[in-house]
Amino acid sequence: MTAPTGRLTPGPTCRVDFSRPLAFRFLGRPMTGFAGDTVASALYANGVRIFGRSLKYHRPRGLYSMEGESSNTLMEIDGVPNECAETTELRDGMSVRAQNVRGDPRTDRFAFIDAFDRLMPAGFYYRMFHRPYGMWPFFQNGLRRMAGTGVLDPRRELEGGGQANGVQAERYLNADVAVIGGGPAGMAAALAAAESGMRVCLFERRGWLGGHLAWRIREYEGGQLHRRGKEMAADLQAAELVNVFTKSPVTGVWGENLVTGYTVGGEDDPFRECHWECRAKVVVVASGCMERPLVFDHNDRPGVMQAGTALRLARTYAVMPGKAAVVSVADDLSLEAAVDLADLGVELRAVADAREPGRQDPASVAALEERGIPFLPGWAVSRAIGRKRVSGCELRALSGAESRRLRCDLLVANAGWQPRIGALATAGARLAYCSHTHTFQPAELPDGVFTAGSLTGLRDPRSIEASGRLAGYRAAEWCGGEAPGLASALRECESRPGPEPGCDICHGPAIGRGAKAFVDLDEDGTWKDVVESAAQGFDVPELAKRFGGFGLGPGQYRVTGQNLAMIMADLRGDPIEAAMPTTVRPPLVPPSLATLAGPGHDVNKRTPLHGELAARGAVFRRAGPWLRARYFGADPRLAPGVDRGTVGGRRSGRGSAEADRELREEILNVRHNVGLLDSSPLGKFRIFGPDALKALQRVYISDISKTRPGRCKYSAMCNDMAHVLDDGAIIQDSERKYYFTTSSGRAGSTVEWFRYHTRHDGWDYHLVSLTDAFGSINLAGPNARRVLERVTDDDVSNEAFPYMGCRRITVAGVEVRCLRLGFVGELSFELHVPSSYCQFVWDLLMDAGADFGIRPFGLEAQYCLRAEKGHIIVGAESEARVTLTDLGMGWLWDREDTASKKVGAPALRACEKQPGRMKLVGFRVEEGSPRDGALVVDGGEIVGYVCTTRRSEVLGWQYGMALVREGHAVRGDRIRIREDGGRGGRTTWSATVVDPPFYDPAGERLRA
Amino acid sequence: MTFRLTCPVCGKRDIYEFTFGGQERGPRPDQEGLSAEEHFRWVQFRMIPGAGAGPQHEWWYHGQGCGVWFRTTRDPMTNREVDG
Repeated sequence: MTAPTGRLTPGPTCRVDFSRPLAFRFLGRPMTGFAGDTVASALYANGVRIFGRSLKYHRPRGLYSMEGESSNTLMEIDGVPNECAETTELRDGMSVRAQNVRGDPRTDRFAFIDAFDRLMPAGFYYRMFHRPYGMWPFFQNGLRRMAGTGVLDPRRELEGGGQANGVQAERYLNADVAVIGGGPAGMAAALAAAESGMRVCLFERRGWLGGHLAWRIREYEGGQLHRRGKEMAADLQAAELVNVFTKSPVTGVWGENLVTGYTVGGEDDPFRECHWECRAKVVVVASGCMERPLVFDHNDRPGVMQAGTALRLARTYAVMPGKAAVVSVADDLSLEAAVDLADLGVELRAVADAREPGRQDPASVAALEERGIPFLPGWAVSRAIGRKRVSGCELRALSGAESRRLRCDLLVANAGWQPRIGALATAGARLAYCSHTHTFQPAELPDGVFTAGSLTGLRDPRSIEASGRLAGYRAAEWCGGEAPGLASALRECESRPGPEPGCDICHGPAIGRGAKAFVDLDEDGTWKDVVESAAQGFDVPELAKRFGGFGLGPGQYRVTGQNLAMIMADLRGDPIEAAMPTTVRPPLVPPSLATLAGPGHDVNKRTPLHGELAARGAVFRRAGPWLRARYFGADPRLAPGVDRGTVGGRRSGRGSAEADRELREEILNVRHNVGLLDSSPLGKFRIFGPDALKALQRVYISDISKTRPGRCKYSAMCNDMAHVLDDGAIIQDSERKYYFTTSSGRAGSTVEWFRYHTRHDGWDYHLVSLTDAFGSINLAGPNARRVLERVTDDDVSNEAFPYMGCRRITVAGVEVRCLRLGFVGELSFELHVPSSYCQFVWDLLMDAGADFGIRPFGLEAQYCLRAEKGHIIVGAESEARVTLTDLGMGWLWDREDTASKKVGAPALRACEKQPGRMKLVGFRVEEGSPRDGALVVDGGEIVGYVCTTRRSEVLGWQYGMALVREGHAVRGDRIRIREDGGRGGRTTWSATVVDPPFYDPAGERLRA
Repeated sequence: MTFRLTCPVCGKRDIYEFTFGGQERGPRPDQEGLSAEEHFRWVQFRMIPGAGAGPQHEWWYHGQGCGVWFRTTRDPMTNREVDG
């Protein structure tokens, strides 16, 4: 196929399909790319050289790597900021924008900042602009506006079911062997492990397998290298036990070999990004190498790039990286790339190699000579020339004063290769400097972690493959499998060339002449900044990292880590072997936050009456795992839905006036007539066995032995700090059988709690949760009995069934457990009905109560009704600082019982007489209505806060409960309640301390 | 940080499935005849964990599984279960 204008004729390693053009826009300008392009390669092919501006100095930045090593090419793509242009596949219709620029990146308005670097020395953010202190917010805001990366648009439409970036997914994998890296070593390891019968997951960041083989055309043992890569990939795809994940960067390796990462979805995938976790017995790290940057003056200019970047632009994307190039490298692989670039038509003006003459691969040196390219061993680039783009460079001999200036539009520079140690480091490998390869190598590997490939310093393709095979067999052996190939793989490894010597150069010659030489591209950390950090005493890489921000950007350790360690060792005068790497932290490659947040399932429980409540216009809210009816809206505008506002607390959102009216009516209907509440989430338990009573005595604070059949006993559970956890009713069914209720919120943890506190005792009892098996309907109001009488033949008169009684009654053939409790302060019957009969019983009650005007009420009404009665809700009127006695419920505590070792009793005893504790008090507001959470003040001092306060329709005044430090609110006192507004505004109210219950203090109504 | 624990009923499971129940402190001490001061110290003893660097006996609850409380010996330095 012929190539379009500006593109090279596609070679055998090209991954771009010129038959499928894709239109996209860069800053509004229409451009064309092709299927297979990344955003970066398409932009480069369209002549874009400045991709964005740097964080601090607003320097123009271009394409440096192809793997997202730096923030140079973070861009806003389709409105999503900080997308990596180098690794994001081009899609039709994309809109791409540059970041951290005002206007076009070519003519950024903040470009002048580059000249003011004196104001921004290392650690300037911590040191400058702080005097006078009051000015700091001003500077901070200014700095934040001028610096940074992408900007989130809060108005951006949410698509895909309320998720910002489409659908996210998650996957949990399990494997014998997890292989990180799909290069030749990783593929060989996966094949060897699978051959030994292991289940293998292989994770590869790129969209294809092959690693460095994928773009190398050098002939090697009877074929071009890329062919060998394709062969292995085909074998791997055919291997049954191997699961290959491409476009799947690993974010970290965690304890016991949990490998985490994410997969970027393609057009056919149902997700945009999928987070996965793979629990493996063994991890083989074959993550390969990346180029270590050379630090020299103006090494960040657009046009300076890695050798691999230039070669891959040409070989993978058929884009000409430049016309005239100068190359300054320090290893054989880059020399091979230089020769290849020359063959592709790039005019090489010179090739410098930082290693001494004679250390280079003779084949590459001969190839350079053959092509008439000047070769300068022992030289390196010392400066890039050109402001917005490289127009030339200065080369210098590493020993001696010789220098040369050359014109070029492409400057390929590196200081050799460094292993990608991220996965190893997060797995817990201890790393040490290896003075043979001049890289950090694992000094000690954690259990079940093996390494393979060029990571270990190998360069020979067959050595790399053999090391992968060896690691695969070792992994199989570790898993306890047979690895028959192990011995031969070991022999092969020994017969192949070992790790090749590296080069210890990290900065170019004649550095420190005043120009900026970047150690860290992301955070604009320069060589001078490292020197300054060291001079200020931050002369350990970990300290310099904090002080100067080196390696804190999106590139993390990768670009900066090893150079920083090497420079610091040099500055301290330490031997190079003493270089210490900084800690590599996950995520090694950043997934989007939406991916980490997950698919956002709203998993909730619905009561057996959910459909019924919805049909009656219930507005639901999430309460623990449950969806519960807050109130019922007759108004169609108050359509059923989940709403999180607070009605009655004056903080409601939509339709609050209507909601308040509905709420008032629901409350009054219970007070004057009869209402029906779905209280199904209430915890319901059966406990039975010879030691059931002992268990109850342990966790409940009261004397449970006093329960009698047919009676409800009210009690509470405390924790060891005497904080109230829960309250509920306990009923004795027979000698060794009990039934008890817990609050909805505690239903899920009650079994755990009982078993925990009896774990040493070996008691014989069984605890069964009936929470989901039984629904609960609360029939409350002065007419409750008259309604109930219509649906049952059992005697429910006050004499036969008194307050706090418990009966089994039959409602139209359905046996229900009926409890006469008074949470809402009226005559009420709580019916525990088998879940499947809930709707039936509900319908009967609604029909029977129709004459009276029965109507359902919701959680909000119940909340107000019980508060009028002074009944607490754990968590609303109690908190982690208050005990049972502080809440005025000390009467529940059976102080005499020490034998059952009640949970919480020692703490209750210990703090019973402690001064200055918070106590729950009731109050009556004289005028106005403060809100929940308002402060209680005494003089200028805050002495407590309002837990709940509402205006009572029945009483005609605003009541409330507050937690106040002891002594500041005695009955009859006047207290001050204060709310602090946003802008220093304060509102205060006066209130009188009164004892709850506010409504029906004598409790006649619930005993009626 | 992630690790696995061995549930005596279900076997090796991910740590996500368990809740921590504190270090082993033996059965609840007698409450008979303790002074308020002694009570206070007792509560402190219950609540404040030891912070040794070596293996320790711990209680775990398999809440997302079979619902059993079990005792295991774990080294918090490595997050691995050890024989104890």
